[in-house]
Amino acid sequence: MLSIHNLTVSYGQVVALKDVSFEAPRGCVTAVIGANGAGKSTLMRTVAGLITQKSGEVTFDGSNLAGVSTEERARQGLVLVPEGRSTIAEFTIEENLRLGGLWRSRIRQRESIAGVFDLFPALAKRHKLLANTLSGGERQQLAIGRALMAEPTCLLLDEPSLGLAPLIVQQILELAQQLAVEKNLAVLLVEQNAVTALRVARTGIVLNLGEIVLEGPAEEIAANSELRHAYLGY
Amino acid sequence: MTQFLDFSLGGIANGAVIALMAFALVLVWRSSRVVNFAQVGQAMFTTFISLWVYESSGSWLLALLIAIFAGAILGLVVHLLVMKPVHRADASGAIIATFGVLIALQAGAGMIWGGDPKAFLPPVANSGLEFAGRIWPVSWYDLLIFAVTSLLVIVLSYVFIRTSFGLAMRASALNPEVARLCGVRVSRMLILGWALAGSVGAIAGVLIAPSATLSPNSFDLLLVFAFTAAVIGGLDSLVGAVAFGVGSGLALSLVTGYSDASNAPIVSLALLVVILLIKPDGFFSQSKSRVV
Repeated sequence: MLSIHNLTVSYGQVVALKDVSFEAPRGCVTAVIGANGAGKSTLMRTVAGLITQKSGEVTFDGSNLAGVSTEERARQGLVLVPEGRSTIAEFTIEENLRLGGLWRSRIRQRESIAGVFDLFPALAKRHKLLANTLSGGERQQLAIGRALMAEPTCLLLDEPSLGLAPLIVQQILELAQQLAVEKNLAVLLVEQNAVTALRVARTGIVLNLGEIVLEGPAEEIAANSELRHAYLGY
Repeated sequence: MTQFLDFSLGGIANGAVIALMAFALVLVWRSSRVVNFAQVGQAMFTTFISLWVYESSGSWLLALLIAIFAGAILGLVVHLLVMKPVHRADASGAIIATFGVLIALQAGAGMIWGGDPKAFLPPVANSGLEFAGRIWPVSWYDLLIFAVTSLLVIVLSYVFIRTSFGLAMRASALNPEVARLCGVRVSRMLILGWALAGSVGAIAGVLIAPSATLSPNSFDLLLVFAFTAAVIGGLDSLVGAVAFGVGSGLALSLVTGYSDASNAPIVSLALLVVILLIKPDGFFSQSKSRVV
């Protein structure tokens, strides 16, 4: 379980996140939604340890992550799939996957690769090809597959729908829900695509200009038309 | 035609050493995105240490091993003491800093060992082999250089392509942030990259030393040739560094043979300018342009 307590992050004078607190429990998707510049990516990058907060705490399975580097967080099972195509184009599909869990034993790595290939048969067929031969949706699958190689207990997905066709977006987000339930993961999903994100999430959090303006059951937020107009723009 | 063949053969050993030094430059470039102009200075320094071991123990192999070890330590020291703090402040300043390190190492070597050229005797005969009724421009020592270089390139290629360590190294070079998100300890990979480059450069230094004399400035030209080879190869390609290193050895030997040795550096620089004009990415550049 991931807990965020009074998190404040600033870039120089600009405050990107202000006093943000929430929890992402295991076994479900927690969706953070909001417009461009709401601080969603900053939140994810701070939780992953790429940015250091000004104040507040990130706790993972009961331990405070202050001073823990990005790579150690990944090894502890807190893995971020960053925004955009984060696969390494010069690597084959198999190499990209292996990269996700190099510190684990060969046997465990092989088990995980088999699991990922079961989940994404499209990748299995082409595992010797370079990652840049894949389509956008397949590359997102590869990025998620690579994160799964770390045997995560908490998966951070930063805008996985970016630049993908609506049908693929739906597939990817449903996959996030499926992973949360089947593997008992805490999935923290950040999305601009509020409709689809709220459909797969249990809890929705609306972020606006760095502050949480609403937190509640996802279906209630989706049904609240006033709120939708005010913050989500649809 | 015989002359052409002789000049070409005579350039191979030299080319192998240039290839190794270019290889070292590429290793550092890939891990830190810095051209380490101090690489030849580090190699010169470790070759002096190696010469001292060679003269006091009489064992060339021991001298080579000490050079490899000293090269790794020196690479590590340069990275941790100079490059890391400077790089954090300013990336382009880091390149200037490598010149500073080069000058400091040359001055230091001059103070310790003096400026007079010293002889580094080859462990095996360095005179042309007699075979099929004529003397060839290749010596036993050239063959040794070629064997050591080939072995090193094969082993390192295997490590980079096949092992988990190699995968982590390549990922750190191509996309450090993604590598960290995948649990790769990138800063450790950086340190290892500098140490490895130091060792490879040190081997190049020990191998080339018997072909001339050893003094604080004796590897300056090697830097010019190795840098040219590395850039033409694409700066991030180990294959390119080796191919164009050997290639420039041949070319320089031909230039020296048909005209004069003093023309070699000019030809090398001219080649660099021309290639940068027509193909600025080099010929083996690995990085694919990323399309968003």
